[in-house]
Amino acid sequence: MKNITDRNLLRQYLLGRLDEHADLEDNLSDGILFNDEMTDIVDSVEDEIIEEYMEGSLNSVDREAVDKYFLQPPERQEKLRFAKLLQHHFETKSSRYSGTKHENFVRPPVSWLSHFRTYGQFAALVLLVFAILIYVNGVRRSQARLESELVQERERSSNLAKEAELLQPPMVPLTLVADRSRAAEMPIPQVEIKSSTRRIIVEIALQSGYSGPYDVHLETKGGKGPLWSARLSPLISSSGDARLLFDLPSQGIESDVYSLVVSSPDGALRHYDFQVKLSK
Amino acid sequence: MVPRGARRALTAEAFGKFLRWLSENDELAVREYQSIRMKLVRYFTHKGCSDPDDLFDKTVDVVVGKIDSCGECPSPLAYCFGVAKNIWRQDLRERKSAALEENMTLPVYPDAQVHEQELKCLERCMDQLAPGDRDIVARYHQGQGHEKIETRRRLADGLGGANALRIRMCRIRKDLRVCVAACVDQWAN
Repeated sequence: MKNITDRNLLRQYLLGRLDEHADLEDNLSDGILFNDEMTDIVDSVEDEIIEEYMEGSLNSVDREAVDKYFLQPPERQEKLRFAKLLQHHFETKSSRYSGTKHENFVRPPVSWLSHFRTYGQFAALVLLVFAILIYVNGVRRSQARLESELVQERERSSNLAKEAELLQPPMVPLTLVADRSRAAEMPIPQVEIKSSTRRIIVEIALQSGYSGPYDVHLETKGGKGPLWSARLSPLISSSGDARLLFDLPSQGIESDVYSLVVSSPDGALRHYDFQVKLSK
Repeated sequence: MVPRGARRALTAEAFGKFLRWLSENDELAVREYQSIRMKLVRYFTHKGCSDPDDLFDKTVDVVVGKIDSCGECPSPLAYCFGVAKNIWRQDLRERKSAALEENMTLPVYPDAQVHEQELKCLERCMDQLAPGDRDIVARYHQGQGHEKIETRRRLADGLGGANALRIRMCRIRKDLRVCVAACVDQWAN
């Protein structure tokens, strides 16, 4: 049986995208079932999907496929739970594994007494050297203790910082009401992204009430992009107000002014600018 | 017809008939059964089914009903797999007709005490890993953002490429998962 090594194809298979393509789906299922060598490859693609799901780096379509298809089996839910446990372990115990070097170096005893034949002549010198050695050792020990306390203190504050980071929500909201044409009336909205932030939940209040799909893409204010794009259907309230609600991955976004460009079904383009501030 | 989601078990008679069909030799039959079960449950898992064990039982039910008419079968696994595909297609149709708004079953998280024990077990299992594996998994999880990407790139270079790293990490995670599960079981009993 031929090995299937196209990881992207396996990914599509595991996300349920090939279910409607009977021949391709059949071939892959046969290949995986009858070829034991495929087990590791398929498992590693599964792990990759889980990792990206946890990092928040999947696009919204893949994320939906993971929620509604991929994570249905209890075994995969357990894999996800374990991956979170492992991540938590390394976030809180990273220092335990980072560059621990054990110095077993023992200084050999110095037979300096043998260098002296006449004890009396150098007794004073011996005493003096002893005194200096004791003093230097004392200073070294005290310095080593201080250094070790400093390292522990640094470790403690780093752990505290990490714990504080864990308490930060992985999502931040961003509401956009006025487009660029009304920039003079309202200040540019700002969103603060911390290192723990994975996604920005964006809500755009639309000025037209079309029910058809809107094309949305993200670019820098200078027009560089698109950095992200999607076709989205609006949510329309009973009073007729329309809005777009979606989430943007925060990965790759830097401190800058960005613009979400919304193209409505009638072809009208609106730019919604916002400022991103990265913080620790 | 068993309602969707309801758990049912194979009858002893059906199970015995299935085993005899696999082999006249008890030991071989059980071994073949375990191998088929593992592969088909895995298949149903790959296909995003919420209850792979139940679909396997359904597959065996159907196969048992056809044993008399199918006669000699050169590959029981291939035959069972053919039936399993039909069972999956049927399950897929049922899933699609079920309410789309239905929320996915959320993973069951253990209580705080079990979670605490899991973390302790994980620490112990990390210590039991071969030093090379422990180093890989620790470095794989090191850092944030660009630093993390760079560390993983260096790890991949050392192991012969990104896919080799993914497969190695997958094996290490599996070893850890099995070790932690055994450790928590030991603690619970």
